[in-house]
Amino acid sequence: MEGLMKNFKTAVLISFLTLLIAAFFVAGNAGAADVKADLGKKVYEERCAICHGLKGDGKGITAGLMKKSEKSGRILEIIPRDLTTGVFRFRSTSTGCLPSEEDLMRILDMGITRSFMPAHKELSMDEKKALIGYIKTFSTRWQEEEPCKAIAAKKPKWIGSKKSVAKGEKVYKDMKCWECHGDDGKGNGPKSNQLKDDWGRQILPFNFTAGALKRGTNPEDVYITFTSGLDGTGMPSYEDSLNEEDRWHLVSFTLKLMGQVKH
Amino acid sequence: MNRRFYSGLLMWSSIVLLIFVLIAGYKEFTPEWKKYQAKYKELYMKNAKDETIKAKAKAFKIELQQIYVDKLNSADRCISCHIGVENPMMAKEAVPYKTHSGNYLDKHPIARFGCTSCHGGQGRVTTTKDAHAVEHDAHYDYPIVPVKYIQSSCAQCHDYNMLEKNGADKVVKGRKLFNEKGCRGCHKVDGVGGVLGKVLDGIGSQPRIYFPMRHIKGEATQYTWHKEHFLDPRALVPESEMKVILNEEEADALATYVLTITSTEMPREYRRIRPSLEAELDGDALYKKYCVACHTAGKESYFDEIFNRTIPAIMNPAFLRIADNKFLKSSVSEGREGTQMTSWKPSAAGLSEQDIDKIVGYIAKERPAGGAPRFNFAGFKTDTKRGETLYNIRCALCHGKDGKGGAGFLGINLRNPVTQSADPEFLAVTVRDGRTGTPMVPFGKAGVGLSEQDMADIVSYVKILSQSKIAAKN
Repeated sequence: MEGLMKNFKTAVLISFLTLLIAAFFVAGNAGAADVKADLGKKVYEERCAICHGLKGDGKGITAGLMKKSEKSGRILEIIPRDLTTGVFRFRSTSTGCLPSEEDLMRILDMGITRSFMPAHKELSMDEKKALIGYIKTFSTRWQEEEPCKAIAAKKPKWIGSKKSVAKGEKVYKDMKCWECHGDDGKGNGPKSNQLKDDWGRQILPFNFTAGALKRGTNPEDVYITFTSGLDGTGMPSYEDSLNEEDRWHLVSFTLKLMGQVKH
Repeated sequence: MNRRFYSGLLMWSSIVLLIFVLIAGYKEFTPEWKKYQAKYKELYMKNAKDETIKAKAKAFKIELQQIYVDKLNSADRCISCHIGVENPMMAKEAVPYKTHSGNYLDKHPIARFGCTSCHGGQGRVTTTKDAHAVEHDAHYDYPIVPVKYIQSSCAQCHDYNMLEKNGADKVVKGRKLFNEKGCRGCHKVDGVGGVLGKVLDGIGSQPRIYFPMRHIKGEATQYTWHKEHFLDPRALVPESEMKVILNEEEADALATYVLTITSTEMPREYRRIRPSLEAELDGDALYKKYCVACHTAGKESYFDEIFNRTIPAIMNPAFLRIADNKFLKSSVSEGREGTQMTSWKPSAAGLSEQDIDKIVGYIAKERPAGGAPRFNFAGFKTDTKRGETLYNIRCALCHGKDGKGGAGFLGINLRNPVTQSADPEFLAVTVRDGRTGTPMVPFGKAGVGLSEQDMADIVSYVKILSQSKIAAKN
């Protein structure tokens, strides 16, 4: 009986010690996490808050003041992303999904062309990771949802061929791309003035003849845009409504509208 | 066999030649105008109300007609087809039998003016295709002027007061657009104007071969070219930097006006221009004439994808508060090197000192009373190294790491000579207070919340941005 008691005491002691050690590690880790969160917050407040706002709601002190005039003369307001919605346009994932870690990293590294989101190449990897971690605290979606798989984009050899451009043109007609983007891709289709984003703000369809695409101008980038859609805008995903081949033909025709394919 | 073959060949070639000669002879004796004149004679007889006129109509002889005007060096055969222009009985007939519209011929008798002095086209030829020259592509220099642009011809002899009173609405509107859309900000006329665009002297009398027609959608004439170019300059000239937004009606009006900017002049006795009636321009009108195409109303700054840089808000109250007239005048006179801002002094873009003063007066008219509170930059001990770090975090987002702004950056070029030679106090107040209504927000307490020491350090770094040390590092 006494032996049993002694064993019991030892067991309690051991479990207590284990708990203590475990607690120490957990606490230690938590401390490290805190340091990381602080770093993310610091970088965010120094660099991002001026446009995206301290709360991440896209209402920094520059909101409403940034404008650009396109070659056509139309003036667009530059609207910083509201990070609290967890909705992102430029992803490599299917529509409705959160962007992958790589997507966010890519935007930090390269910026978004023609939108004045600058590249932050000079940040260290730790800073970038901490920053992404901090950005993820703005929306609960990041805790609630599982990450999605990235869309595979393997460019076929015939991209930009005469035949593919012609097929793409048919897709452009059939899928009514012209209703918003216009017959010449100038963003002046018959519905171009009635478009609103998910937050009720008026938006304009992209003018392909005016320069680089925000997500990237490589055929692969254009293909991913057609597949992922630009969530929050009027640009839907064609992952279900077009087969892979047709999406690539549409890429060919888009390249033609952009003047990258000459025939 | 050989001989037979050759005789046969000779016979057949002779027959073919004979056919051609007959066709040529037939064509020579039945020209287009003869048909029109025959039909005209018929209509003339039909419309004649009494015997005297009928007799006159009967006596009408079908022959080639020509108006030779010595002073204009013109020989216009247009009336060989347009035979009824002076006959009031033809008012209801179709072109080319029709009477000339309006009462223009009362004061502009055909014998004195001919046709081509107003309508353009090739007066000496005798077929529609060659005379109107619309379908030809290059070597017929001056196709007929479309009726919708014909008011450009009136302005060759009449001044705009007269034109306005007498309903020459299009050319008057076109001139207003030309003067108020800031065309001269880039284009020189009579030696005054910006340098980015083509010099426009004589543009209205240039032959059509001067215009790149490759991408034209309508008729390949200079008239259509002007219009299409005003609607979408980059559709015709892909590399064009032209800034213009016009609707159809405005494009027609402006096309009418540019056709009046000719290098040829009507003889003195034809002209009725009284230049003394032109009013002297005030600052507002000068601003519209030379500045408005880029700076718009001057209150907002925006990034321009044609110039690939931000065009600053030059009438921003926060800017005017610290920029005195001397500073404004030197900016206008010298321009901003490294940007599209032209130097406007008399020896460059050709504005007079008085005109520059008027423009400066106009820009400064809404300067708020009382200057900005001093920053006292000189009172700070600055650290350039620290300034560099802060600059790279806070300022490079918009102005770029090298401070050059430009493509992809909302901020202006900080390395231009005007900014580099500016008083640091001026720069420090700018950083602290920002420029209201532009993305240059206040970085002091009122906005981002940097400390005064931070801002002073940043300014000390901005001041050495263009120095070779930094340039080498980048």
